[in-house]
Amino acid sequence: MSHEIFMPALSSTMTEGKIVEWLKNPGDKVERGESVLVVESDKADMDVESFQDGYLAAVLMPAGSTAPVGETIGLIVENEDEIASVQEQNKGNQPDVSSSAQLELVSDKTEEKPVVQSEIVEKQEKEVVLISEKAAPSFNTDQINAATSNVSSRIIASPRAKKLASQMGVDLAKVHGSGPHGRIQADDILKANGQPVSIPWIGQGDSPASIPGTNLGVENKPETSGNSFGDPGETVQFNTLQKAVNKNMESSLDVPCFRVGYSINTDKLDNFYKKVKQNGVTMTALLVKAVAKTLKKHPQVNSSFSENGISYPENINIAVAVAMEDGGLITPVLKEPCNTDLFELSREWKDLVKRSRSKQLEPDEYSTGTFTLSNLGMFGVDRFDAILPPGTGAILAIASSKPTVVANSDDSISVKKIMQVNLTADHRVIYGADGASFLKDLANLIENEPETLVS
Amino acid sequence: MDNRTAIIKQPDNISSFNDVYKLQKIYQEALILDNSNPDFIWIGEHQLCYTLGRGSNYDNLLFSLNEAKYDVFKIDRGGEVTCHMPGQLVTYLVLDLKNFNKDLNWYLRKIEEIIIKILGVFNINCHSRKGFTGVWIGNKKIASIGIGCKRWITINGFSINIDCELENFNKIVPCGIENCLMANMIDYNKNLNIQEVKRIVKKTIEEEFNFDFISK
Repeated sequence: MSHEIFMPALSSTMTEGKIVEWLKNPGDKVERGESVLVVESDKADMDVESFQDGYLAAVLMPAGSTAPVGETIGLIVENEDEIASVQEQNKGNQPDVSSSAQLELVSDKTEEKPVVQSEIVEKQEKEVVLISEKAAPSFNTDQINAATSNVSSRIIASPRAKKLASQMGVDLAKVHGSGPHGRIQADDILKANGQPVSIPWIGQGDSPASIPGTNLGVENKPETSGNSFGDPGETVQFNTLQKAVNKNMESSLDVPCFRVGYSINTDKLDNFYKKVKQNGVTMTALLVKAVAKTLKKHPQVNSSFSENGISYPENINIAVAVAMEDGGLITPVLKEPCNTDLFELSREWKDLVKRSRSKQLEPDEYSTGTFTLSNLGMFGVDRFDAILPPGTGAILAIASSKPTVVANSDDSISVKKIMQVNLTADHRVIYGADGASFLKDLANLIENEPETLVS
Repeated sequence: MDNRTAIIKQPDNISSFNDVYKLQKIYQEALILDNSNPDFIWIGEHQLCYTLGRGSNYDNLLFSLNEAKYDVFKIDRGGEVTCHMPGQLVTYLVLDLKNFNKDLNWYLRKIEEIIIKILGVFNINCHSRKGFTGVWIGNKKIASIGIGCKRWITINGFSINIDCELENFNKIVPCGIENCLMANMIDYNKNLNIQEVKRIVKKTIEEEFNFDFISK
């Protein structure tokens, strides 16, 4: 079993750190509490220690390189005989650390996937040419990956893929890896085992920061059955997830809801996002953080109706709607975003999305939301309203941020990026004024102080 | 916050860099093993020597290492090469940041703030520069900072040029900044002396970190 060493946060404002020196070499024994490497930020450096006894199996980022906070930079194994296999698995990652790290960071953004894929293909084409001196212009990704792994005649798989393979009894040697250098990913195992791979394509978008039209997720959605689950003339039974959603949506009919909307200028947020994006921050995490921070000031909007009265939850947990490709939707929950820094929150979100894809969420990871976000920004919609999920008091619908001609208070005219948000709330517990003042503060936070979303 | 006990050492004679460095390491290890051990502050002067951080670029050393004329030490701190010598007041702080703020950026900024306060007592206006850790008077550097940290226990600290031979900095690229000009406090206030500055350094640290000092 291998344990990851992460780039630590030496301060709340640090987004990346430089690896000054590895104090241990791959293969070296390390004791719990022993310094393994030194990381520097500004004029301060810090020893990073091992959290367990074992062996340093792999150095994923060499000395002198810079890595985002939270990035895996090395691997520690418990037993000496695991070193070789971990080194094998990660061999492909080591020579071109920076580029594979970047791929890792963007790889869960659906709309960018085609680009990433073609980059991988390009890289691998080069590699194939290099190794077998045979041009491969007409190879598709799978063939190229197969070629790569045949040439190197060893199996490279992610730790999760290996685990899944052993659980499902899938033979790794027969799986085509779709990752960099033919690395076998968890999805490849699912595919090999005949399970459909579902990619959520709502709620993880870039809405404000991206230009509408260039990222219409629908058009780029790879090889799906279009926008319906059945053929013309057919009636398809609801799946379990769809049934659950139906029930939830119907129960909202008993709730007296109202809606209140706001137009938010995202120019500053977009700039800030551009800066932190390279460190793995997702737009979803930014929006969740902004909403959670504002809810903290407006506990009424975080409340819900109960038979005994207005129920105020102990925590602020933000659920984000994620549509599943095979129907239905799921609402993974980011718990207590106010207590989690932006980078950690982005990591949590990526992990939740990944695991909702393979339907591996625990119930408390999708059912404990106290407030819900639904983001359709990536489709370029200018506004919509959402249906209130049961057990909560409000849901916020987030549309796309679009360049808009705005009349300013000094009568001048300018073009600003404007994002419309629309709050749906249960009027038994949340009144118009509550919703409106919540939106006013949310807009103020996003428009004027997006950099405070870091911690 | 309750006051914390710290041991303070402020020798009057010039101290060997290596001995003091070892002493810091001992206090750091003690704090790592048991956080009820006291913090440790050292204020004093060194013989001429050059020190490099673990990530320092040796190209910033403008003399050959084989030239045995000067002592050169590679130590556990961030930042590039610097120089110590008599007339420069060096302050080391072995602190458990878990009792203050587990944030190295906060700590660096706090040290800058402390240095600015110290110089303010002598009516010297100085400032920090974003992206250039240290304290500056215009474009001249008056104080340098370098910190190491293990399990949030700090080591090393800062040096203030009071009345030292700045020519010694010509043999290096101080802090890795090309054409970096250095300054002495004495050039801005003729009436000060190193003992007086030492007293203010001690007082300011005591107040800023809420210490109860035990002298050793």
